[in-house]
Amino acid sequence: MASTGETSAQLALRDPDVRLMLRVRADEVGAFEELVEQFQHRLIAVMHHLVGDATEAEDLAQEVFLRVYRARHKYRPRSKFSTWLFTIANNLALNSLRSRQRKPTTPLAVHDSGPLGPRPQEQLVRDHHSGPTQKVQREELAAVIQEALAGLNERQRAAVVLNKFEDMKAVKSLLSRARMNLRAALSGYVYMNGQPVPEAEDETDE
Amino acid sequence: MPDQPRLTPQEQADLVAFLDGELTGDARRAVETKISLDPAVRAEAATLKKTWDLLDFLPKPAPSPSFTNRTMEKLAPIRARAALRSPRPFLVGAGWAAALLAAVAAGYAGVGLLARPPANPDQDLTRDLRVIENKRYYDRVDDLDYLKQLNQADLFGDDAGS
Repeated sequence: MASTGETSAQLALRDPDVRLMLRVRADEVGAFEELVEQFQHRLIAVMHHLVGDATEAEDLAQEVFLRVYRARHKYRPRSKFSTWLFTIANNLALNSLRSRQRKPTTPLAVHDSGPLGPRPQEQLVRDHHSGPTQKVQREELAAVIQEALAGLNERQRAAVVLNKFEDMKAVKSLLSRARMNLRAALSGYVYMNGQPVPEAEDETDE
Repeated sequence: MPDQPRLTPQEQADLVAFLDGELTGDARRAVETKISLDPAVRAEAATLKKTWDLLDFLPKPAPSPSFTNRTMEKLAPIRARAALRSPRPFLVGAGWAAALLAAVAAGYAGVGLLARPPANPDQDLTRDLRVIENKRYYDRVDDLDYLKQLNQADLFGDDAGS
């Protein structure tokens, strides 16, 4: 097991996130708060892409952090810390979506920010040089992309979001089918320069 | 308009893996060859890449300003429960002291047992001397009743020895 120990030590030295988590594991004062500050933006963004609702995304992100805290003494630095964190996030999001399917609720619009209201940071990719028309176009495009994402099944959506935004590996065939489905849903928006749009097969992985 | 490529699921997966830079060696060269020779595959690869890049237009929702505080507030009861469950330092010390005392007592008892002098073999010989001296007679009789009969005076008559 010596090689594993060396790998863990090397990982800890290389990855500042691992070092931070090791400080949390050691119950160092302030370390957990630092962890929350550091990862909340990425975590909430990913959760929002996965569940499509801002308020639920924050609630789930909180639960992820609490689970990390509860499991801190069992943490072993075997891989990137973010991989561990977003694996917990993915499991929670999938459970939440399945639970939502069992208890149907009125879904929020994809652009709704929830009871907290719209937040400035929640705007689309900001371009101070673009005019109102371009802004509306970007907003419409973002809404279409969110709908396309929401049209994927849970596993495909998770594969796309975690691979795209967190560089996490996904099962090759699952990711491939997800990307083919996205391509089909967004084909009209990819070729906006008059280039013909190739037809796509509508496939699912189930 | 390029023809729609008829790719098998495996070829589609390879194309996606190629675009993600995850293919190496022969697999990578095979996809490169297909892309260079088949305009439909080339168009498919371009469309897949553009679709993937579109995801960059997704909004990046930021946490609400109170997110950290609310999370830390939720943590408070968890920390309180953990503090109740964890043993107090003076109890840990008392436990160690008790364990140390028990170990000392067990060691003392063990040493006492091991240090006891062995039994004196001469004592055993003295106690069993009578039996040892008469062993040759005892060997000749089957049981104690026969021995008692021999001891009766009238067995061979009073003049037996005369």
